[in-house]
Amino acid sequence: MNTSVRLSAASLRAHKRRFAGTFLAVFLGVAFLAGTLVMGDTLRASFDTMFGNAARGTDAVVRSADAITTPGDTQGVRQPVDADLVRTVERVPGVAAAAPDIQGAGQLVGADGEPIGGQGPPTLAGNWIDDPELNPYRLAEGRAPQQPGEVVVNRGTAERGGLGIGDTTVLHTPDPVEVTVVGLATFGGEDGMAQVTFTGMTRADAEKYLTARPGGAAGILVRAGPGVSQEELVDRLAPVLPQGVEAITGQESAEENNEMISGQFLSVFTLFLLVFSGVALLVATFSIHNTFAIVVAQRTRENALLRALGASRRQVTAATLVEAGAVAVTASAAGLAGGIGIAAALQALFPAIGFPFPEGALVIGAVSLLLPLAVGVVVCLGSALLPAVRAGHTAPLAALRETAVDTSGASRTRAVTGAGLAVLAVVVTLSGVLVIPSVRLAGTGAVLALLSFVVLGPVASTTAVRVLGGPLDRLRGVTGSLARRNALRSPKRTAATASALMIGVAVVSLFTVFGASLKATMDRTVSQSFAGDVAVGAPSFGAGGSGLSPRLAGAVAELPEVDTAVGLGRGVAEVEGAGRALTVTDPVALQRTFDLGEVTGSLEALGTDGIAVTAQEADRLGVAPGDTTRLTFTDGERRAFTVRAVYGRSELAGYYVITREAWAPHRTQDADTLVAVTFADGVATDAGKAAVQRVADGHGNPEVQTRDEYARSAAGGIDMMLTLVYALLALAVLIALLGIANTLTLAIHERTRELGLLRAVGQTRSQVRAMVRWESVLVAAFGTAGGLALGAFLGWVLVEASDGASDSAFAFAMPPVQLGVVALVGLAAGALAGLRPAGRAARLNPLQAISTE
Amino acid sequence: MTATTTGTRTAARVVDAVKVYGTGDTAVRALDGVSVTFPAGRFTAIMGPSGSGKSTLMHCAAGLDTLTSGAAWIGDTELGGLDDRRLTLLRRDRVGFVFQAYNLVPTLTVAENITLPLDLAGGGGDPEWIDALVDVVGLRGRLRHRPAELSGGQQQRVAVARAFAGRPDVVFADEPTGNLDSRSGEEVLGLLGRTVRQTGRTVVMVTHDPVAAAHADEVLFLADGRLVDRMASPTADAVLDRMKAFEVPS
Repeated sequence: MNTSVRLSAASLRAHKRRFAGTFLAVFLGVAFLAGTLVMGDTLRASFDTMFGNAARGTDAVVRSADAITTPGDTQGVRQPVDADLVRTVERVPGVAAAAPDIQGAGQLVGADGEPIGGQGPPTLAGNWIDDPELNPYRLAEGRAPQQPGEVVVNRGTAERGGLGIGDTTVLHTPDPVEVTVVGLATFGGEDGMAQVTFTGMTRADAEKYLTARPGGAAGILVRAGPGVSQEELVDRLAPVLPQGVEAITGQESAEENNEMISGQFLSVFTLFLLVFSGVALLVATFSIHNTFAIVVAQRTRENALLRALGASRRQVTAATLVEAGAVAVTASAAGLAGGIGIAAALQALFPAIGFPFPEGALVIGAVSLLLPLAVGVVVCLGSALLPAVRAGHTAPLAALRETAVDTSGASRTRAVTGAGLAVLAVVVTLSGVLVIPSVRLAGTGAVLALLSFVVLGPVASTTAVRVLGGPLDRLRGVTGSLARRNALRSPKRTAATASALMIGVAVVSLFTVFGASLKATMDRTVSQSFAGDVAVGAPSFGAGGSGLSPRLAGAVAELPEVDTAVGLGRGVAEVEGAGRALTVTDPVALQRTFDLGEVTGSLEALGTDGIAVTAQEADRLGVAPGDTTRLTFTDGERRAFTVRAVYGRSELAGYYVITREAWAPHRTQDADTLVAVTFADGVATDAGKAAVQRVADGHGNPEVQTRDEYARSAAGGIDMMLTLVYALLALAVLIALLGIANTLTLAIHERTRELGLLRAVGQTRSQVRAMVRWESVLVAAFGTAGGLALGAFLGWVLVEASDGASDSAFAFAMPPVQLGVVALVGLAAGALAGLRPAGRAARLNPLQAISTE
Repeated sequence: MTATTTGTRTAARVVDAVKVYGTGDTAVRALDGVSVTFPAGRFTAIMGPSGSGKSTLMHCAAGLDTLTSGAAWIGDTELGGLDDRRLTLLRRDRVGFVFQAYNLVPTLTVAENITLPLDLAGGGGDPEWIDALVDVVGLRGRLRHRPAELSGGQQQRVAVARAFAGRPDVVFADEPTGNLDSRSGEEVLGLLGRTVRQTGRTVVMVTHDPVAAAHADEVLFLADGRLVDRMASPTADAVLDRMKAFEVPS
């Protein structure tokens, strides 16, 4: 064993350059992983502290017991409690103070006339609670609101909107309310709860603007007197509370809030990043494996000599593994340090671009410390295992043979196994897509497809490089021909090198195709379902924004240019026990602006006890027009509704439609999410749009969009997402390029004599460079082509599987331009990867190269 | 390029060639003021014991290595004034090489190996000449084979054909028979000799084998980096006797 260690130490010293690529691949992968984990830890810890601080004074929260959660909204919707319950609560022994907590959506307008926030994080408004212990916000400057129209704003929001104490502005609730800023507040010591905006009003204002009926509150915050624990307080409160109202401890409430942010947002965020570090590490695995395989092949004579001199198989294998281990540990440790560096850099960078990354020390959990190290070492050692075993199996006789460089082609077994895998992959995928729609089955098929591509790589590489390199012979003469044949020399090696890039390109293409398909889906949805001329939408994305004033649709409908204007609001109810979103609207007008597909029954007279359901939901519930279904609202009321219509298209109209009148008794804050407008005959789009915009200006200035603009803005979020995904995948592609560069460098080392000869018989330096560069481009082209094919196929699978597994129809679209760009980037990257090896090859001294043994 | 048939023209020469490897105490004078002319249309052998500087002389004369001082010419071109690119082009267009270890490009076929220098120059060449060469070296039936499928002697014959393919001013052969058995060696040497005599080419061969040297028109003897003797119309025995003299300490 000792000898093994000495041998590997000597080898590492002698071939530092060979392992530089491996080191970098492990380093980058581990750094990405560690950076993600540390950033997650730090954000989570800071949210914990923030919520802990903010809720420290609240010992109990009284609220409605039942929440209705709809798919995609885990927080749920609760019915308000009676704000007057405060008086009852205050009389309970052990209660020091109690205050109603009235909450709603409220978006402030900044000094520049633009709404503040609304692109993701919630924009909240509520009553300013005077008891400083119960109010999660602290007054930092100015005073609390006393007169109607006076508000306190959290400092972060005020700064973003350019507002100061004494400034007057508008708050959309969604109806515009003129407010004056009288104080600035902080949350848990920070300028705000992340990017959430908060506007604190007087209790009377809050009741007036934020609730459907005065006297309602989201909950009641309670502070315990001295010596009363949170649990005791809850126990004492429980008996006095009316039916359907519960009390929970302040701690539980804080944990729920915290869970909402860190549990959902952070988990999704870190998971997202972890997936991409996984891709990067997978790509790294290929690069590392390839490096070791080549190094072992090049060292055949050396290893054979050792075996001839009496080294056991184990000793030779161990020597290679120790070598891999040394690289793994140093690279992983460096990667860990690099990852912590990345997190620190982000901590410094984020505030500069307006994202509040918490200040103070980075928090590094044990998992964040150990996991990247372990993953780095396992990936590196695992990749080196096969080559190491192969090294151990070197026959002593190989020492006497000519230098045996790995020129093995593709075996029959490989071709058969690969083909079998490919067939299996196609069968599993297609059955997951077409026969029994199942994302899981399709996913299994996708993994199998990836595997078959990797296994078939060496089989395909010969043909592929021959075809891809065909034009080279004609364009580049003997230089091109040499490059092509060099790439063909070891199909296994070429395939392994290209596989790394293939995976990167496949993931990029997958997202590109999926993104384009989503856009096409939206486009189709709008063009098929939206029969109106313009749409008025709240300028928001995510939970922010205040929605549209429910009075907007009425105001627009009065314009002479307008035939129909219908507002769509959102309600929730449990339908036969399952939480569902309801579309609250005027069903008659709805039918005129939206294509609802095939309608059985009639939407003409839903009344207060009628409901319209999509065909899919009707099937699920087993109802037809004339049947009844039971809805339970947030206020606990259960009512039977008669199904009066069943319609076909749900994309824009939603799954359930009820009238405003039916929803009114159960509503919370009134807001529409969309107003759809149809012009009267003969009104030009531009004129009509301008007229609607004039009305909209008076109702919070929401955006008025034509059909095309509406479809495009819906797709805008997808582009943003794709940009982020591309940025994250750049790392994987970079690692793949390092792999290509490394393989080429090793190959050049191997071909020193040959290069020397070429130089001696008259190959110029630039011809040498071109030859190596073109070889690199060819390998990259093979990887890119494979990646594009695999990615496009998987993109199709994902779209079709989603289409089959969800209610809404997905459209599949191939974006030729974007995929063309991906192909070009892959080729350019290949040329880039070949740059250094080409330079090294060109610098070889022909005389020395020839005399090298 | 004009065909060179006269024996008086100079194909290559070096004047006061000095080559020093290393510096200070470890400096080695591989060439110590050698002046020699290789006449066109002749087959010249350079002999000498190991370390005599014969390979260095060849490398410097062929533009593979640079002299520390002195000058080297290929035809009328002084090599010292050329940069790497021009030196490479000169080697490609006016010099041929045959190495001890064949040094064929394994990915190219026999035919492609033969025309490699011409292809690197961007095509051209004289198809009739190449065709004749192929017959001279006797590889007609092997043109589509890869080097790995040929014997050592056959590979070296490919190398010889490649060296002559571009009708260079001079072909340098570095121990061309070093890796071959005596029969194959004899074939290659005969081939070199025939090509010089029948087509008027010029060959400079470095060897330590008296039998090989006997195929040349003239043998130059090198010892300790100096030209010590020359022998016209050599025979193997005469060369051997002359070589033995080096081993006797004088």
